[in-house]
Amino acid sequence: MADKAQTWDVIVIGAGMGGGIATRVLAEAGLRVLVLEKGRAGYRAERTSITANALDPVARSVRSLWPGQIKARIDGRDSAFFGPIGAGIGGSSVFYAATLERPERHDLDHSAERPHPTGGWPVSYGEMAPWYDRAEQMLQVCGDADPLSDNPCNNLRPAPEMAAGDAELAGSLRAVGLHPYRSHSAIRYVAGCLDCLGHKCPKPCKMDGRSAGIEPAMETGRVTVMDQVDVAALRGKGGYITHIEAAVDGTKRKFEAKAVVLAAGALNTPRLLLASTQDWPTGAANSSDWVGRGLMFHLNEMFALWPRKSAGFAGPSKAISMRDLYWKDGLRFGVVQAMGIDAGYGEILHYLRNMLARTRLGKLRVVRELVRIPAMIAARLFGNAKVFVGILEDLPYPENRVTFDASDGDDIAIKYDLHPELRTRRRAFRKAIKRVIKGHKTMFLNRGAELNFGHPCGTCRMGNDPETSVVNAECRTHDLANCWIVDASVMPTSMGVNPSLTIAANAMRVATVLAASLKGEARDD
Amino acid sequence: MTIDLTDGVCVVTGAGRGLGRAMAIELCSRGVQVVGLGRNVADLRAVSPVAGPGFHAVTCDVSDTAQVAAAFSNIATIGPVSILINNAAVYPRRDFLEEDTDSFMRSVAVNLGGTVACTRHALEVMVDRGFGRILNVATFADIAPLPASSAYAVSKGAARIFTRALVADLGDRFPDIVIGDWMPGMLATTMGIPDGLDPAQSAKWGASLALWHDPSLTGTVFEMDRELPPQRSLKRRLLDKALLRKQVIRSLG
Repeated sequence: MADKAQTWDVIVIGAGMGGGIATRVLAEAGLRVLVLEKGRAGYRAERTSITANALDPVARSVRSLWPGQIKARIDGRDSAFFGPIGAGIGGSSVFYAATLERPERHDLDHSAERPHPTGGWPVSYGEMAPWYDRAEQMLQVCGDADPLSDNPCNNLRPAPEMAAGDAELAGSLRAVGLHPYRSHSAIRYVAGCLDCLGHKCPKPCKMDGRSAGIEPAMETGRVTVMDQVDVAALRGKGGYITHIEAAVDGTKRKFEAKAVVLAAGALNTPRLLLASTQDWPTGAANSSDWVGRGLMFHLNEMFALWPRKSAGFAGPSKAISMRDLYWKDGLRFGVVQAMGIDAGYGEILHYLRNMLARTRLGKLRVVRELVRIPAMIAARLFGNAKVFVGILEDLPYPENRVTFDASDGDDIAIKYDLHPELRTRRRAFRKAIKRVIKGHKTMFLNRGAELNFGHPCGTCRMGNDPETSVVNAECRTHDLANCWIVDASVMPTSMGVNPSLTIAANAMRVATVLAASLKGEARDD
Repeated sequence: MTIDLTDGVCVVTGAGRGLGRAMAIELCSRGVQVVGLGRNVADLRAVSPVAGPGFHAVTCDVSDTAQVAAAFSNIATIGPVSILINNAAVYPRRDFLEEDTDSFMRSVAVNLGGTVACTRHALEVMVDRGFGRILNVATFADIAPLPASSAYAVSKGAARIFTRALVADLGDRFPDIVIGDWMPGMLATTMGIPDGLDPAQSAKWGASLALWHDPSLTGTVFEMDRELPPQRSLKRRLLDKALLRKQVIRSLG
C-alpha cells in the first residue's frame, strides 16, 4: 500500500479550523504532514448550507455535514438532533459566518478585579496576543477596532464600508450610549462575493480552515489529505502513540508518524481518546479522567431589534458587534452581535423546527407543518427587525461531558446540565440587554436557554496540573509525549466571543512549538 | 469575472433530426457553439450547412455508454460544456405483447440511459465550474400512457423522475447548475403528429429556456413557452392562501 512506503512527520486528525491551520504551519515549516479527514473532499464550487435538509447519513456526508446526530441529555431530558457540525475539508469552518473576534484579557487571565473561574488559562493573554496578530493576518481579518478595548488588533484590514442601513443602525445605537463597531470578519469581499454566512464559499473569499489552512498547505507539496477516513483508535505503549488505526473504504489501515495532532473538534476529539481503550483502559490521555468533561457551549440570547424609523432598511444586518455588556457589574457575559440573518419566514421556521426537533412533539409531521403558522405570524410581526445575538459565556463543570460508547456509531452522546450559576447569569444578561439598548424596540426570540451547539469547547482542557487537565500549556497531552490537540477541546473556558479566532491562533502557536521540537529532534539524530 | 452560458458549448442530443436539429440551428443562430450528438452521420452532416460554423457534429449513440464517454472527451477539446439539452429519444409504437425484454430495454437505454449518461459526463465539467444548465426534453406520456407506448411512457416518465432526483442531489449544493424539464408541445416531427407545431417554433422557446440561467428555474417544468406550476395538494393550496403566497407563472419572452 502506498502509505506504507511513506513516512510522515505528523498526522493531523481532522481538517477543520484547528487542523487546517496547524497543517499549514507544519508544512510551511518543512514537515511532511498526513491529514486524515472523516468527511468528503467534495467540490470546491459547492455552496451547501449548514441547514441543508439532509437526514440520510450519506446525504449529510456528501454535504460536508457530520453524518450522525447529537444524542443529548440536557437537564435530564433526552433528545436527538443534527448539530451544526461540519465534516469535510475545512470542517465546520466552511459553513461559519467568519466572525473572528478576539477575546478580552479577562477571558484568559486572572486578576483581582476580574477573577477567572479557573484561576486563568495556563497561557496568558499576553502570550497569546502575538498569535492573535498572526492569525488575523493569516485569515485576512477585516473590521474596526472595538472602541471599548485597549487591546490592539494590529493586523485588522480595513473593512469595506458598512451598508447604509447598518451604518445608520450603528449611529442610532451610538446615540443611546452604546459602542457598536464593525465586526471582525474573515471575508475578503472579492468581486462577486456571495456573503457566505452559513454556507460554503465557492470563491477564494471566505477565509476558513480550508481556504486559509488546507489549500495553502497543499501548495507546499508536503501535505497529503485523505478524506473519508474513519479513525478508530490511537494505539501505543505507555506514554507514546505508536500508530493510528483507521478504516478506509471498509478496510482496516494503520498510519504512523512521529507526532499526532488531534483536531477532530471538541465533540469528536474526546470521543476518539475515549475510544482508544486497547492500550489505555480508561482511554488515551485520560489518567485525569477529564477527557470529555468540562463541555461548554455558549448560550445564545437572540433578540429582534427594530431600527429607529430613520434607519429602517431591508435586508439583514451583519456587520455590527458591541462589547458594552462583555463584562458588566462583576459578571461575565459576552459580545452582542448581528446574526446576519433576517427575521424572515424561512429563518423563523427553520429555527422553530430545530427547537421542536429536540422535543417529542417534533417527530410528528403535522406539528412540523403547523409550525408554519406561528412562523408566518412572527415574520409579519418582525417586519424589518434585525436579529441580534448576545453570546453568553459558559463555564466548565466536570459533569457536563461528551461520553463514548462503541455502539453510538457516528452519533455524539453528550450530557449537559444548566447550572444555577449559569441560569442566574443568563437572567442578568437578558435584563442588561433590555436595559442598555435604550430607545430601540427589542424582543427576545428565545425564552428557554438556547445552547449554541456550533460552539462546543473545553472537553480536553489545558492546564498545568495533570490531575485536573488533559493537555499542558503547549497543548501536548500530559500522558502521551507525541500527542497534541489543537481544536476547541483545549479551551479551559468558553470566553465571551466566537471561538474560531482563538482556535486558529492557538493552532498556530502549538504547531510552531511542535515543528520546532520535531526539527530539534531531527538535528539530534 | 462571471461565467456566461455562452462561455462554453451547448450539447444537444438527437441533433440530426426533428426538434434537436431545429434547436441546434436556433442556438447557432444566437451565436452559441453547439455540439450536436446523433447516430446518423448523414443527418448530422446535413445540419452543418444550415446551422453554420458554430455547429460541431459528433456521431454518438447515446444508449451506448462507451460512445457517450468518447463523445464527451471529444467535446472537451471544443470547450467546456455549459449547457446540456437531453433531447434524444425513440418512440417505437409497439404493443407490449410485441415487445420482448430486450426491445423494451433498448428504448429505456436511449430515453433514460442516454439522459443519465450524457448528464453524468456533462456534470463532470459543470460541478468543477459550479455552473451550467441542463434542460431535459420531457413529455406527459407517463401520466396516462397511450396504447402501444409502454417503453416510451415508462422511460420518459423515469427520465422526469431522474430530473427530480438530480435536483435533490445537486440543487442545494450547486444552485448555479440550473436543471429543469421542458415539454416542447405536440410537434410535426416523425415522433410527433402530422398537424403538430412547426419544430422551428418550438425550438425558439427551447433555446430561450436553455439560455435562461436563473437558479430559481431549477426543478421547474415548462410547457412550450410557459411555466407549469407544480401540482399542489389541497393542504398546500390552503396553506398558500393563508400565507398570502401567490403563484407566479413565468413565460418565455
